[in-house]
Amino acid sequence: MPVKHTEGFNPHLKFSIGAPLSLGISSDGEYMDVDLERKVSIDEFIKSMNKVLPEDIRIICGKYVEDKPSLSSVIQWSYYKIEFKIKEELTEDEIKKLMKDYLNCDSIEFVKERKKKGRLQQKIENIRPQVGNIVLKNKEDRIIVLDVLLKTSENGNLKPKDFLSSFIDFYHLSLDDYCVNIHRIDMYGEKENSIFNII
Amino acid sequence: MEKLDKILPIVEKPARYIGMELNSVKKDLNNINVKFAFAFPDVYEVGMSHLGLHIIYNLLNKEDDIACERVFAPWPDMENGMRREGIPLFTLENKVPINEFDFVGFTLQYEMSYTNIINMLDLGGIPIISEDRTEEDPFIIAGGPCAYNPEPLWEIMDFFVMGESEEAFFEITEKFKKWKKESKSRDEFLREVCLIEGVYVPKFYEVSYNDNGTVREFIPKYNNVPSKVKKRIIKNLDNVYYPDKLIVPYIDIVHDRVPVEIFRGCSRGCRFCQAGMIYRPVREKKVDTIVRTAEELILKTGYDNVSLTSLSSCDYSQLENLIKILMKKFEKDDVGVSLPSLRLDSFQLDVIQEIEKVRKTGLTFAPEAGSQRLRDVINKGVTEEDLIRTSTYAFSEGWSSIKLYFMIGLPTETDEDILGIKDLSYKVKDLFFATPSERRKGNLRITTSAACFVPKPFTPFQWVGQNSLDEFNRKISLLRNSIRDKKVTFNYHDPKLSYLEAILARGDRKIGKVLIRAWEKGCKFDGWGNLFKFDKWMEAFKEMNIDGDFYALRERKTDEVLPWDFIDIGVSKKYLIREYEKSLKGELTKDCRLACNDCGIKESFSGGVCD
Repeated sequence: MPVKHTEGFNPHLKFSIGAPLSLGISSDGEYMDVDLERKVSIDEFIKSMNKVLPEDIRIICGKYVEDKPSLSSVIQWSYYKIEFKIKEELTEDEIKKLMKDYLNCDSIEFVKERKKKGRLQQKIENIRPQVGNIVLKNKEDRIIVLDVLLKTSENGNLKPKDFLSSFIDFYHLSLDDYCVNIHRIDMYGEKENSIFNII
Repeated sequence: MEKLDKILPIVEKPARYIGMELNSVKKDLNNINVKFAFAFPDVYEVGMSHLGLHIIYNLLNKEDDIACERVFAPWPDMENGMRREGIPLFTLENKVPINEFDFVGFTLQYEMSYTNIINMLDLGGIPIISEDRTEEDPFIIAGGPCAYNPEPLWEIMDFFVMGESEEAFFEITEKFKKWKKESKSRDEFLREVCLIEGVYVPKFYEVSYNDNGTVREFIPKYNNVPSKVKKRIIKNLDNVYYPDKLIVPYIDIVHDRVPVEIFRGCSRGCRFCQAGMIYRPVREKKVDTIVRTAEELILKTGYDNVSLTSLSSCDYSQLENLIKILMKKFEKDDVGVSLPSLRLDSFQLDVIQEIEKVRKTGLTFAPEAGSQRLRDVINKGVTEEDLIRTSTYAFSEGWSSIKLYFMIGLPTETDEDILGIKDLSYKVKDLFFATPSERRKGNLRITTSAACFVPKPFTPFQWVGQNSLDEFNRKISLLRNSIRDKKVTFNYHDPKLSYLEAILARGDRKIGKVLIRAWEKGCKFDGWGNLFKFDKWMEAFKEMNIDGDFYALRERKTDEVLPWDFIDIGVSKKYLIREYEKSLKGELTKDCRLACNDCGIKESFSGGVCD
């Protein structure tokens, strides 16, 4: 594909992946910007790329966006499916109440850890505004599946792992560490208080 | 693979274990006649930088009825998870346990990877000792440079292949296919395969020792077992297989570029260098072959840098021509060309100028010794003028970071030679500041690195005693205290690690037991500083009643029977002795491309520049 290169000492390809996933998370909704030297048909681009991509990574659709805003500024929310196992026995109603109480809070404090220059930095943040919604998708014994809408942007970003930690701590539950599965369903932009599809 | 999914999220760099890379080959193992697991006894990132892996992987997979899959040493966090979940060691492609393969082939690149070999066999559910394996188990084999002294691994390997195995592989697989059909015993296969030139089956030989611990005799047990094992070489590198594609890893590996071999062997004759002796005769590839290969590989992998690999790249006879053609083809696509293994004396300024048009890589040089006298002893024909000329040029062209490699513990070395290392480093620093400020760029960074000399088999120094730990430590302190300039960073290798390396490099069969005991005590990834357990190694020596100093520190007499004498590498012992004697007098031996030095390679091998 005729991808543009950056200028300068160490030229590299001009493309960027929107709000890239953390290691260990699968997804059905990822987005990428790529700068081409010349126009190729979208079909040709998709076909050629899918031929060389690993089986489990597929390009689904594409669109030319002449000079529209960057992907990272458009993306505002991520919708995750979080599957986890707790050590306690809870009923479905108990979990639903838990979720309601959580969402009813004005403020939920969480200590975010970040590695900067090789050192671990800790910052206390109110993450409630970064939780858009929580839906109970399934519960089987002690395995719970939640669909959550979390903020994903340059000025406010909540990682699904952090949300899960905060949710578990809220009622002092215990997590079975080896049984956490996170999947990103899709990402959305935001305009006038409602979310919209990126493409 | 559900169990695998549980462990992957909690280990470091899970991409080491998933495979699925571009150009990886996953076949249906049910339709395959020979299943070969290529085992690199270190972590993924290290193994994937090994050119030999890519050559053998693609060579074998080209055949419809052969499948070659990869397995690397799992990092301890992964190993713990695997043992806990009961997951045996598996290959990356089909995630099949290695004990379901017909062959597991290890490449011996570094003596301190041997404990990893044992660990991988154990993790794979394969008996560690050759004698304990049944017809259900794979054949465990090994090759690579350390195979030129195979003896410490004699009990573990079913057989070794000496030299370049591109052709030998198929001779082995043909015999295997026949053997499988006939349902014979393991020993019968080994009896068949030892007749192939280059193959060494340790159990078919008996070793006896003198009272002083040296080898007395090394004799075959049966009549048709060869008394000497002759290495294999590929005569014509233009006709031999070279991969047209390479696996592209998902994580950063040690070298992220396309390696294109330009020649094998080396004619310089540095006396400490094993590679220079064992890879003779020098055989070059034609310019056309190299260019074609480079183009194909860039196309099929998407890498943006070609690395012209060999033991001494500037010695390639058609270098200028090759570089010009490559730059012409690659400049517009932003593909860089790099030349590792540069020598200070053959460093061609105009060649480097061509290459740096695309991208500037760092510069590394290896003067190896701090004084001209010592450089002459080791036959590294590099002078101070060479270093000055090259550094001056480099700094005026905008390079500001230079690495200098040295060794300490070389034969006849004095403290004056050691301090010469500091003198050279300071001279280079002065040259930077002598460069007019308009021409020099950036902040100066000189890295001076001192490795501890390890005498290797099949070199003129194979009889030399290594320096003791006390000596090494004293010399390191001497050097460290004398280098006080902030612009010069001094690095050195752990003498304890080099001591063990020396024991394994020139060890005999008795060392095998120490190796296994060390592993039993938890030794693995010895080359990784924070995992190295020197105390456990020393306990292992004590428990097995073996004195490591006998192997590392002892100076041998030239008439002693050495454990690796049964291998024919073409270069004669007479030549090595001659070179050893010359070294003690500080006499130089010229590059053999200029005039033949009678190393003996012509007598047993043809092909290459000796013709």
